[in-house]
Amino acid sequence: MRLTTFPLLVASSLLLAAGSSRAAHPHYGGTLHIEMRAAPTSLDPADSNQTEWLGSRNLFRLMFDTLISLDEQGKPEPALATSWQAEPGNQRWQFFLRGGVTFQDGAPVTADTVAASLRRTNPTWKVFSQGDAVVIERDSPAPNLPVELTLPRNSIVKRDGGKISGTGPFAVSQWDPGRKLVLFARDEYWGGRAFLDAIEIAMGKSFREQMISLDLGKAQVIEVAPEQAHRATAEGRHVESSAPVELILLAFNRDTQSPGDGRQRQALALSIDRVLLNTVVLQGSGEAAGGLLPNWMTGYGFLFPASIDLALARQVRSDIPHTTSWALGYDPSDPTARVIAERVVLNARDAGLGMQITSTSGADLRVVRIPLISPDAQISLNELAAELGLPQPNFSSSSIDDLYGAEARLLQSQRVIPLLHVRVAYGVSGAVKSWRTMRDGSWRLPDVWLAAEKP
Amino acid sequence: MRSVTDNAVYNARIPHMRASSSRFPRVACLLVLISIHVPTILASEWRAPEEQLARKIAAATGPGAVALDLVSRSSLSHPDAEEIRRGLMAELAALGVRFVTTDQAAVTVQITLSENLQNYIWVAEIHQGNNESSVVMVAVTRSSPAAVEHSAAGLTIHKTLLWTDENRILDVALVNSNPQHMIVLLPESVVLAKFQDGRWQQEQSLPISHSRPWPRDLRGRLILRKDHLFDAYLPGLFCRSTTAAPLGINCYDSDDPWPLGTDQSGLSAFFAPTRNFFTGALSPGIEKQTTVKAFYSAAMLPRDKYKLWIFATVDGQVHLLDGVTDQPGAKFGWGSDIATLRSGCGLDWQVLASGNGDGASETVTAFEIADREPAAVSPPIQLSGEITALWSDSDGTGVIAVSQNSGTEKYEAYHLSITCSQ
Repeated sequence: MRLTTFPLLVASSLLLAAGSSRAAHPHYGGTLHIEMRAAPTSLDPADSNQTEWLGSRNLFRLMFDTLISLDEQGKPEPALATSWQAEPGNQRWQFFLRGGVTFQDGAPVTADTVAASLRRTNPTWKVFSQGDAVVIERDSPAPNLPVELTLPRNSIVKRDGGKISGTGPFAVSQWDPGRKLVLFARDEYWGGRAFLDAIEIAMGKSFREQMISLDLGKAQVIEVAPEQAHRATAEGRHVESSAPVELILLAFNRDTQSPGDGRQRQALALSIDRVLLNTVVLQGSGEAAGGLLPNWMTGYGFLFPASIDLALARQVRSDIPHTTSWALGYDPSDPTARVIAERVVLNARDAGLGMQITSTSGADLRVVRIPLISPDAQISLNELAAELGLPQPNFSSSSIDDLYGAEARLLQSQRVIPLLHVRVAYGVSGAVKSWRTMRDGSWRLPDVWLAAEKP
Repeated sequence: MRSVTDNAVYNARIPHMRASSSRFPRVACLLVLISIHVPTILASEWRAPEEQLARKIAAATGPGAVALDLVSRSSLSHPDAEEIRRGLMAELAALGVRFVTTDQAAVTVQITLSENLQNYIWVAEIHQGNNESSVVMVAVTRSSPAAVEHSAAGLTIHKTLLWTDENRILDVALVNSNPQHMIVLLPESVVLAKFQDGRWQQEQSLPISHSRPWPRDLRGRLILRKDHLFDAYLPGLFCRSTTAAPLGINCYDSDDPWPLGTDQSGLSAFFAPTRNFFTGALSPGIEKQTTVKAFYSAAMLPRDKYKLWIFATVDGQVHLLDGVTDQPGAKFGWGSDIATLRSGCGLDWQVLASGNGDGASETVTAFEIADREPAAVSPPIQLSGEITALWSDSDGTGVIAVSQNSGTEKYEAYHLSITCSQ
């Protein structure tokens, strides 16, 4: 074989090299710079609040582990617990701990510290150590307990006075509450040291500030407003989106007061053009929502109608002798919520319903954003009901029929009108390799690495 | 306390063998491979959920005339959806349901094939006259998509799937014995498999004991030995198989250098115990050269009077060392995994190099280096995903390639060889 035999092959391989990134083993080292909108003032998972949940959740996972984690299909897999088992009835569970794991302060993980951590965030549970295992006893059957333990609030935290310590892949080297967090990789992490040496996270940055930082190379990962995702991509930025993980809905502040009240709520739900809301307000980056949980989570979401039916809305309205003019509230710090509220009011008026918007506290119903906190549909529905003050769903099994029945009952209560399911989006620099935005919008930073600078 | 029920217990993953072959009984094994790589979705997979959903529908409608429609909102293929439609209709007919057009029916059944994270969800909406509609549904566990095979043309790299595993495969060694045996190096075990009944079957799994957590992008190498079966090199750990039966392994912390290239290479290098690369320190060295930049992989090309060593270094370059000079080859356009094999074609020895894909799928191309510039001598062969390992086999006639299937996310180990053609 002579060198000249395959000139085209050589040329094509070199062209390929110029046109795409080098296939390489991951590089160790470097600092990843991230910016985010949330400005949490505590790093303790027990203190997480709903408003900043999506941002905080990703921080907690850098510093803390849970006993169990979820794989990409939403199935439980071992984390700090290597195995677990339930006694008949699913009220008493036993979790066997991974050996040789240490907290960031060097202390070994013991069944006692794990039990203390879980008791702190779940005061109604009976949690105690038994040899190298942790036992959890619940008041009622808890077949989904392993999945419940994957929630960030159930992270295993060692609290020592005012100090907290986790077992996660990164440890804190600098913490300026609400402003800046610097983390360094732990060499002794049980899951293998992260490729990155450090992560610097700037907090409380507006979407606009973050975009500027990405463009200037000051940040390598930023959050992108859902309605800006398409534009950012069109302008040449690399944007990654999750599956829809946030629900925007109308939440009434009390149960239906009369049959007429229920009919009026039904007319409002029928009058809303959710598709147009998604197209205009979110620039097509969300999904019209008829149900509480998105279809990717349940597979039956399409059963709950999300389309406008103005004729039926008017018909229902005409059957109500006396209607109430509702005040629709929104969070004044959320410009998207205001636009949504304005459009809902217009839709309602088209159906003959009186409504006005207000940013004060005296609203009859509100535009609410609620993060769906787990890829597990039962857990998310439970948490959503708790957040909205709705009755807790009763699941007699983990069957899909049970889930559907529970969600349908929550909707039939007419306390809520789902509007949109929204994705989270991240702008990611080309230097960031192995970045994966999980379906639920979470990061997998231990696997991320930074491309080496060109020699 | 462990003697309670076994529900919801996590069980350690069991390696799955999808298909197998060896480089020795190659023709026979390729025939076996062809038969195994038939698409795996079979009609029988749907029978149970078809029966289940049909029973639920019939319980709601009772026997009689219904109008049935089916749409798919899932990743199921059209033929699969049609197969399911026929199956459901057959099951419903067996339960006394007759099918009529919508205008003749008092009951309409709208079936939607949907899906969520873990399952297919088949939903039936049943509308009966003016009554409110009812909904029944079943969840069907999704099977993993079948891997897609590609064929190469021209001077050809042949790939033969040896082993598939949910765990990261670090290296594979084929043992020339009768029956054929194979050793698979995994992060936590060494698997011994035997080729029997047309496929590889696990005979034994030997656990690897290690005190330190493994680094990410874990790498490891198997070397066949004459006085015992094999040595296994892992970051900061060395394992040796026992010489006497039954087969076992002894592992201990060690920073001993890992052999590079083939049995004839005679060069070893120190591997960073908490990282994914070789430090650059060589043992004993290439003539006078005892260090090179930190590197991911190395390949040796024998020359008349010396050995030319090629290193894919951590900084993304390729370095050529001949014992005297260290020549960087920045424009090779190779990935970070390289290995050599002796095919007897062309210049006798070729370098196989991973390509420049961006994660979704990866390629391996054969190159020859007559002087100091590489020339591609084969079209690239596509593997199922990112390449995680490329090692020359012990006798140098083939290369073991491991990739992570971008669809199934399982690791697949291939034996790559080259056949001469014009």
